[in-house]
Amino acid sequence: MSMLSDFMFISAGLFCIGIYIVLSKRNAIQILIGIELMINAAILNLVAFGKYDDLANSGQVFALFAIVLAAAAVAVALAIILNVYRQYKTIDPAKVERLKD
Amino acid sequence: MNILSLLIFSPLLFGLLVLVLPDSLRNLFRYITLFATLLQLVLSVWLYIHFKTGPNFAGISNEGQYQYVEKVHWIGLNLGGMGKMQIDYFVGVDGVSILMLVMSSIVMVIAALSSWEINKNHKGYFALFLLLDMAVTGVFCSLDFFLFYIFYELMLLPLYFLIGIWGGVRREYAAIKFFLFTLFGSVFMLLVMLGLYFSVKDPATGYHTFNIIQMMNPANYDKDSIFSILSHQTLLGFPARTVGFIVLFIAFAIKVPVVPLHTWLPDAHVEAPTPVSIILAGVLLKIGGYGIIRICLGIFPEVATSGAFWLGLLGVISILYGALNALAQRDLKKLIAYSSVSHMGFVLLGIASQTAEGVSGAVMQMVSHGFLSTMLFYLVGVIYNRVHNRDIYSFRGLGTLLPRYTVFVMIAFFASLGLPGFSAFIAEAFSLLGAFNSHVFNGLLPTWMAVCGSVGILLSAGYFLWTLQRMFFGETHLKGGDIWKLALTDLGKREMIALVPLALLTLALGVMPSLAFDKINDSVLALIQFMHTK
Amino acid sequence: METVLTHSDISVIQLAVTAVVLPFVAFLLNLFIVPRQSKLSGVLSGLAIGASLALSVFVFFEVWNQPALHVQQIWFTVGSTQIRLGIWLNNLSVLMLLLVSAIALPVHVYSIAYMKGDNHYTRYFAYLSLFCFAMLALVVVDNLLLLYAFWEMVGFASYLLIGFWFTREKAIQANKKAFLMNRIGDVALLTGIMLVYTHYDTFDIVTLFGDHSLATAAATATATKSVTIAGLCFLAGAVAKSAQFPLHTWLPDAMEGPTSVSALIHAATMVAAGIFLLGRVYPLFNTEVLTVIAIVGCFTAFMAATIALTQTDLKRILAYSTISQLGYMMMAMGIGAYSSALFHLATHAFFKCLLFLAAGVIIHEMQHLKRKHRLHIDAQNINNMGGLRKIMPVTFITCCVAALALIGFPLTAGCLSKDGILIQGFAWAEGKGWAYSIIPIGAVLTSLLTAFYIGRLMFKVFFGESGLEGISADSEPEAHEENPLLYLPMILLALGSLFPLFSLNPLKFESAWIVKGFADMVNKTESSGELVPFLISALSVCVVLIAYGVYVRQKLQWLKFKGVLFNMSYNQWYIDTFYNGIIVRAVVGLSRAASWFDTYVIDGIVKLIAGTGLVLSRISAWIDRYIIDGIIHSITYFVKQAGNFIRGFQTGRVQGYLFTMLIIVLALYILKTFI
Repeated sequence: MSMLSDFMFISAGLFCIGIYIVLSKRNAIQILIGIELMINAAILNLVAFGKYDDLANSGQVFALFAIVLAAAAVAVALAIILNVYRQYKTIDPAKVERLKD
Repeated sequence: MNILSLLIFSPLLFGLLVLVLPDSLRNLFRYITLFATLLQLVLSVWLYIHFKTGPNFAGISNEGQYQYVEKVHWIGLNLGGMGKMQIDYFVGVDGVSILMLVMSSIVMVIAALSSWEINKNHKGYFALFLLLDMAVTGVFCSLDFFLFYIFYELMLLPLYFLIGIWGGVRREYAAIKFFLFTLFGSVFMLLVMLGLYFSVKDPATGYHTFNIIQMMNPANYDKDSIFSILSHQTLLGFPARTVGFIVLFIAFAIKVPVVPLHTWLPDAHVEAPTPVSIILAGVLLKIGGYGIIRICLGIFPEVATSGAFWLGLLGVISILYGALNALAQRDLKKLIAYSSVSHMGFVLLGIASQTAEGVSGAVMQMVSHGFLSTMLFYLVGVIYNRVHNRDIYSFRGLGTLLPRYTVFVMIAFFASLGLPGFSAFIAEAFSLLGAFNSHVFNGLLPTWMAVCGSVGILLSAGYFLWTLQRMFFGETHLKGGDIWKLALTDLGKREMIALVPLALLTLALGVMPSLAFDKINDSVLALIQFMHTK
Repeated sequence: METVLTHSDISVIQLAVTAVVLPFVAFLLNLFIVPRQSKLSGVLSGLAIGASLALSVFVFFEVWNQPALHVQQIWFTVGSTQIRLGIWLNNLSVLMLLLVSAIALPVHVYSIAYMKGDNHYTRYFAYLSLFCFAMLALVVVDNLLLLYAFWEMVGFASYLLIGFWFTREKAIQANKKAFLMNRIGDVALLTGIMLVYTHYDTFDIVTLFGDHSLATAAATATATKSVTIAGLCFLAGAVAKSAQFPLHTWLPDAMEGPTSVSALIHAATMVAAGIFLLGRVYPLFNTEVLTVIAIVGCFTAFMAATIALTQTDLKRILAYSTISQLGYMMMAMGIGAYSSALFHLATHAFFKCLLFLAAGVIIHEMQHLKRKHRLHIDAQNINNMGGLRKIMPVTFITCCVAALALIGFPLTAGCLSKDGILIQGFAWAEGKGWAYSIIPIGAVLTSLLTAFYIGRLMFKVFFGESGLEGISADSEPEAHEENPLLYLPMILLALGSLFPLFSLNPLKFESAWIVKGFADMVNKTESSGELVPFLISALSVCVVLIAYGVYVRQKLQWLKFKGVLFNMSYNQWYIDTFYNGIIVRAVVGLSRAASWFDTYVIDGIVKLIAGTGLVLSRISAWIDRYIIDGIIHSITYFVKQAGNFIRGFQTGRVQGYLFTMLIIVLALYILKTFI
């Protein structure tokens, strides 16, 4: 029987990897992957904590929702990236800095 | 509508007419103005003829004795805890003001006649002229201090523009000087007016009032109000009533003008166009004297009595100082301006004597000087229009060149220097007589003041005769040579029309002083009695 | 006071008023209706004054030595004081009325011829009529204020007439001077009138100085200081009008006017107004003032006589002679010889007017010679004349009569009046101490001087040879004096200068009707006085003989010395020099100083206040700009800088933001957990 803490460690590891990717990569797609990693870390936690709700299994349900949402978000994000690429001919977020004041 | 109100506001109506008419009719404006002033003259003469005399119509401190009274509630503000603010449109005349009205309306006609020379911006000029006319008339009629003040301030505005736009080379300097001088006086007058307002209560309504006649009655003052006679309040360490008197006196003394507050006058006169000079000297200066009689003496009689010595002293200083200055002038207009200072000194001296003779003489002097200074300035204007020069030393022997002009100059000069037969003689003689009599009658003025005043008559003969000799007699010699000789034409018809009535008026007043004295006697007696019952 | 007037009295008064007003009517007509240079004007004025004379004669006989007539009506009211105007006909006023019109008529007639051809003929007669009106009115009015009015009016008319030729520089200087010096007297007179008014509360001469008058009563009761001062003021008025020291210098200059004017105004009538005034207000004077009057009169008489000794201008000599004679009258008034003063006034009017008219004829003649021979001479200088008696016999004879009258030669009118003054002078000084006798002795001295200067004048003008080189006057074949309008008046006046007109007894002045007409202050005692006139007459004859010796026989030339005294006399005692140098300059200087004071001090203060206002406004503008506005500016600057600083954080890099967020979250976590 694995311990809850094991899940948590894996999840934290995933999250950290995700953050690292998000902060360090120069490619928007890769950053997106990093974000996905972070979302999945969170979902992993949800599922793990779902064990304590036997009656409604709300953790699992939430996880499902989150997966769906993540998929949708990825779709939107990919669309944005496509548009960004069309506009700037790059998907390096460091070069997309028109939001600067 | 009351005839007095008609008299006051008819010029305003014509002024509006001038404003409304298109500029293409500008040659008509002067006729409109002349008509307005003539209408006013007719009205004022009607008032003069129907003016009732007798001790029951003396006026001064008795509201019921004023004539042609119109009293309408004008501004009423409910101030809650402070009671009700009540300002009346209150006009009426007594013996002193009726003469001023007639005099000023005559002067206005002459000024309108001399406005023919105006050659720029007719519309503005005549509209302002008529506005000024209204304000001046209003001042002489107002019996409500607030109304008086409004008219008094309203005079400044048109005058400022009339001097500042249509004046001579240094017109802006002169205009601003005049304006600031007068404003300086009237601003403080406003403060005293408000102080009086909060001190006086109308016994009929129980509210504070601006009514000048109510202010003359010591019973109407609140017990512990600032200007109450009984309370002996102080302002800045001086008795409040003394301060009030001095402030009002300074305001009017600037107008008179009394030395040392006179320096605006030569500048304003020299720069102003002829008609404005005429109004300034003929009417405006009289407002000072009138204000002193009506307001300073009326509201603060006991201060006026205790300060009579100083008033007389200022009068004597004005007489002598003005005359000496006139003697030193090269500019003819400046000479006449200073002679005005000197002549108006007699007004102050007469008022200060607080005798019936003195005050009558002072009022007479105001009327007489109104006509004479009008004539003198008109005459200066005639020569200035021709050659644009007024320096006494530029002319010599004008008598040969301009005989008719010289005759009028001689009439004006000799009348001004107090030749018997002309009004100034009666006026100066009685002002001086009052000053002499004061010593015996009420002990206010020492005799030496009257003697010094007489010396002023001598000096005035000096500067007028010297000017006559230098400018009008001798071989003809002009600075401008033959060009001037051609330019200097003798008096035209319009000029004669303006001058002849003035000469006749001053002669008539000199031969029949009763024309003036009959109307003012009752008021003067009432004033003297009023002053001495305090 | 109010006496009921009979019907005839009223008509007398109406006639008197008509006599006064007629010249005024002539004045108005001449001024407005008669065309310029019309001969009509002279006739008109002459007729008017002639009618006045006729009426005056009638009025005179009605009133003389009868109760005085007085009517008045209210003129105007001042306060509660009624000022009345009216006329008061007593002996004094009817005498003056008669005298003025009697002198004015011949002068008018003379003027018609004398002024012929002048460009302003009408104007001349207008002025002359104005003068006559004012003078006639002056003598009859009953009110001090009116008296003053006409007093000034005669001065004004005199101003106009002196400056009649107003293109002449000297004439206009002279008329200004005359008016101004008279004004000094006028101011004094006005002061006197005011003082009297304050004291007695009325201007009415009858109430003040008539019978049972206020002034007499007061003067006897209490001789107060103010009454004395008032008396001195009246005296000062008279001094100016009658050209007495120290206000006499206008009269010689006034000779710039036409000679006929000098004859009427500056010899006979206007200058006598001062004496008349003293007579009119006589009860006002107390002993002190009377003594002052006597001293002023005596000194003036003496001074003017000494000046007349050396003058060379014909009219100037006569002018100083007039001053001297007026001094006599003044002195007579002062010593209480009231009637003699007026008597001398009347006689003097005749002979002095005559002398002036003669002078006019002589000057005309000289100008004629001057034009004829194209000379550059002064036509009025007596050194250029001489020997004129042959070509101008009428002038010569009438002049002789006048000169004798002036000297006081027996059988002339002047003798009577002058003797009266001298006798009364000695009577007055008697028993008063030696100092008082200076006055009659001075009068005697003056009388001798008079004899000398008039002798000099006569001899220089009429005797000897012409003063002009190579031209002898009698070689002129032309007719002279042909115009009867010129010499008829002179003959008439010459007749008037003889004794029968005034007294049937040529030796006793007391028998003259004028003297009888007035009550005197000094009792006419028959003491030592009787001898005086004869003595003086004898001495005068001697003096005239000396003058004859000097100027005709050319002997006694040492009398023509030129020393200090000569210069003093020739320069008129330097009085005019003093006035011009000191007083006029002082007044002008004072006026300059006042003007300077006005421009730089009073206006300076005004400008200083204005300048202070300007400086204050500049300072506040500076404060406004740099301090108040500065604070606002610095606040905005600070905010802007802060904004700029923070703006730097907005890199626009998504990852950067995320990183920052992470740091902050971590920091918060650390803060929360460990602190």
